[in-house]
Amino acid sequence: MNSSVYLDYAATTPVDARVAAAMAQCLTMEGAFGNPASTSHHYGQAAATLVDKARAQVAAGVGAGPDEVVWTSGATEANNLAIFGVAGYYRENGRHILTARTEHKAVLDPCRELERRGWRVTYLVPDRGGVIHPDQVAAALQADTVLVSIMHVNNEIGVVQDIAAIGAICRKHGGVKLHVDAAQSVGKCVIDFAGFGVDLMSLSAHKAYGPKGVGALLVARCGVHLQPLQFGGGQERGLRAGTVPTHQVVGMGLAFELARAAPPSEAERVAALRERLWQGLESLGGTMRNGDAKQSVPHLLNVSFAGVEGESLLAAVKGRLAVSTGSACTSAVQEPSYVLRALGRDAVLSESSLRFGLGRFTTEADIDTAVELVIQAVSRLRRISGL
Amino acid sequence: MNYSELTRRYFDTAADAGVLDGPDVHRGAAGSHAQGTWVQFDVQISQGIIRAARFLAFACPHTIAVAAWVTEHAVGTVATAALPESVPDLSARFAVPAEKRGRLLVIEDAWIAAVASGLPR
Repeated sequence: MNSSVYLDYAATTPVDARVAAAMAQCLTMEGAFGNPASTSHHYGQAAATLVDKARAQVAAGVGAGPDEVVWTSGATEANNLAIFGVAGYYRENGRHILTARTEHKAVLDPCRELERRGWRVTYLVPDRGGVIHPDQVAAALQADTVLVSIMHVNNEIGVVQDIAAIGAICRKHGGVKLHVDAAQSVGKCVIDFAGFGVDLMSLSAHKAYGPKGVGALLVARCGVHLQPLQFGGGQERGLRAGTVPTHQVVGMGLAFELARAAPPSEAERVAALRERLWQGLESLGGTMRNGDAKQSVPHLLNVSFAGVEGESLLAAVKGRLAVSTGSACTSAVQEPSYVLRALGRDAVLSESSLRFGLGRFTTEADIDTAVELVIQAVSRLRRISGL
Repeated sequence: MNYSELTRRYFDTAADAGVLDGPDVHRGAAGSHAQGTWVQFDVQISQGIIRAARFLAFACPHTIAVAAWVTEHAVGTVATAALPESVPDLSARFAVPAEKRGRLLVIEDAWIAAVASGLPR
């Protein structure tokens, strides 16, 4: 393992050692390896007990009931199940969906697929800070809108949307279901599934020191129906067939419990580190903070650097600093971040941005090293560009 | 993205980044910042020989590396309106991905603009 500074916690987090230990207990002959659906013997019963406990742990962390948790392979599957599930079940009620341009691809791509199938989708444009105002949602709702899908915490800029206010609007409208992608939220801000008035919420384990490969879709117990996407076994109330992976959900449950138990001082610590990082980078000049700082989680900082080309910036810090660029890098040629473009940043600044994700193991020394490396890289690239 | 060792070396050092001044210095540029690739060359030509060369680039690591290599290898050669090595050869030398090869044409355009202005008409 190299010794570069890790500031990509928004991409993924390391599994907490306590979580890894609990997961390992579910894998071997001596542990709870049984199929949790095989409750006719104690092996299955032991696994089922742990799955139930994990369900309760996840639910408690997000203000939901255990019976509202549907295990999935991650937030992407949860988003797909929510969007296609609502579209399939309620297609006779209407064919309009409301979402935002700054959503994750795991929401945008299913919406685009539904457009190809004849659905109409409205993509709300945020303000320059990345905020979707609830009155925008109210104004865009149509008589045949069946689904509103708005994320809680944006994965690139960390902006937190006012889900409770959007939930109230959806309830008043009637007939429309509200889905929230909360993959980035756990351990970073308060989630209140019931209190927000949300119908469906996607969760991920690996953004919160849990394992990759597991997530959940919360499905409100009252009046929310989905058409399942896969069949064969009837697990998870028939909404998600397939053997429940005990070790994965046990890991997710414990990770959520640990996140819930974290003291408020941890958020304050991370917020202080983020401000230290921003102040250090701001001293460079020609830096722009992306996203409304007053309405964002403390764990994320997204900065555009004028006078440098995006790919070169990332290459210049590679090996010493693990960060992300919002740019899509699906080919050899980078594309500007569509999230930053939606905020009104031009193509060049949208490409020359870095996303710093801070987390549980980030130290002041990490921040100081990151500042030094980025200042060095940006200054050098500006000399090369003559800007 | 992964880069070849040569690309990484020239990108990291970019030894000839900068500008030249003087009566025998000729400048040429191509591309645009808005499109993400801009390159400028300064070449000092006397008695038909390139005596010094510098570059500026707002560009990806491949483009910066190739521009740096061009300035380094052009010095001491006879000034002609052509790169020291063809675009396909440079592309192969630096393992430039196919999607990016058009960016080497920006380097070629900037180089030709600089050197051609210093050649006898």
